[in-house]
Amino acid sequence: MTKEKIFEVIKHNLLGILPDLDPASIEPLQSMRDLGANSIDRADVVIQSMEELNLKFPLHELGAVENIQGLIDFFHTKYLGNNP
Amino acid sequence: MYSNVVITGIGISTSIGRGIEQFTDALQKGVSGITRDDEDGLGIAGRIQSFDYEDRLAGLNLPDAILLRSRKAGRRAPRSAQVSIITALEAWMQAFSGKEGYPSEEIDVIVAGHNIGQQYQYRMAEKFKEHPEYIPANYALHFMDTDHVGILSETLGIQGEGFTVGGASASGNVGIFQAYRHIKYGLCKACVVVGAMADLSPVELQAFRQTGALGGKRFAAEPEKACRPFDADREGFIYGQGSACLILESAKSAQERGIDVWGEIAGGAVCLDGNRLSNPSVSGEARAMKKALEEAGSRPENVEYVNAHATSSVIGDEVEVQALKEIFGSHAANVWVNATKSLTGHCLYAAGVVEAVATLIQMKNGFLHPNLNLKKTIDDECRFAGLTSRAEICHLVLTNAFGFGGINTSIVIKKF
Repeated sequence: MTKEKIFEVIKHNLLGILPDLDPASIEPLQSMRDLGANSIDRADVVIQSMEELNLKFPLHELGAVENIQGLIDFFHTKYLGNNP
Repeated sequence: MYSNVVITGIGISTSIGRGIEQFTDALQKGVSGITRDDEDGLGIAGRIQSFDYEDRLAGLNLPDAILLRSRKAGRRAPRSAQVSIITALEAWMQAFSGKEGYPSEEIDVIVAGHNIGQQYQYRMAEKFKEHPEYIPANYALHFMDTDHVGILSETLGIQGEGFTVGGASASGNVGIFQAYRHIKYGLCKACVVVGAMADLSPVELQAFRQTGALGGKRFAAEPEKACRPFDADREGFIYGQGSACLILESAKSAQERGIDVWGEIAGGAVCLDGNRLSNPSVSGEARAMKKALEEAGSRPENVEYVNAHATSSVIGDEVEVQALKEIFGSHAANVWVNATKSLTGHCLYAAGVVEAVATLIQMKNGFLHPNLNLKKTIDDECRFAGLTSRAEICHLVLTNAFGFGGINTSIVIKKF
């Protein structure tokens, strides 16, 4: 699982929840909040991405994540933990 | 001085018509929406087939702002909420597109129905058993019936009063009656009332089957014959999916806005039997019709047509016939009676609104839709509509809805 693939999954789910977002405007260094996602939207992007990536963890572990890149890195670390 | 209450927008989604034009055509032709139910696997039903939310939105010619809000609020919502949005938008565009509207704070919204999205909840429960981590956060909003209120408020920009009303199979009429009061007493300028689509899960369908209330056994191989209100061979109700919407405002402001009026809600009544069970009562049903006519300042002998509750239930249809004879006496021979459920199946919470829409369409277009499958009537004194449509202009009409728990309702509609 590459970080590029993880970014694609997150982007796809973000666009599903915020259909008016311009796909080209989504960059890893942005936060989902800045892109217009409220707290429930953000939780659902994370949950749907977890499901697609076949990962499981409690959401509170994401506390320190500040932007999409942080989420990509977090998912990637979890993935490596599951697939050493 | 109380206001006369008129209807300036109607919308509908059922198994026999997506939108007013298609539904009108289906009523005139007497189309049955009842088919084998592959989703349930055990029975037959009148489900809304191949519903595509984006496709339906695109067909409504919405202004950009409403389209955007509808896509955001509804795209991932449960099916029943999506159907509510589409149905309300159809009525909304009719009442307000290209016309002067009202301040958002002076528009109210009432959603008729409860336990609306049980199929969605059932799917979530199945998911939870395997993967609790993957339950969406949005489920916390979507499982509540009031999600329909919030979604409609957001998409239509409504900021007046808003709430759900419950009344089992009479929910739709309870909603119309509350909306009528809001306009009559000047509590708001316009009131949107939406009968929500009951999205039953296999569990609720099985429970109805266990009570013996569901029909469809004898005609399992010919589903279009299974729903037969007032016929001697009826076996029970057939589940139908549907949602409908009415927009009510005062006759005076509708005239000032120069908007076409579908008809007038002249009165209504809700009264209880003092009985929590499912058995209907002649006196309760007759009392609802009597009170509704009194509220409208009308008399039974002036009623020309009754859109009956008539679910195809063995006991229910018989009791309603007795109640009609009690209220009308010898005039029963002159009053046309038909059952929209013979075409759509029983749309449960939405039924009252679906049937109000069917009534308004018939009154406006001067016809009565058929009673499908009514071959051997259970009564010789009532004047049941036949197996095909007929031209008939009606001026004063009752629409009945009765719910489990002894909830009796009737609405009076006048030609405007």
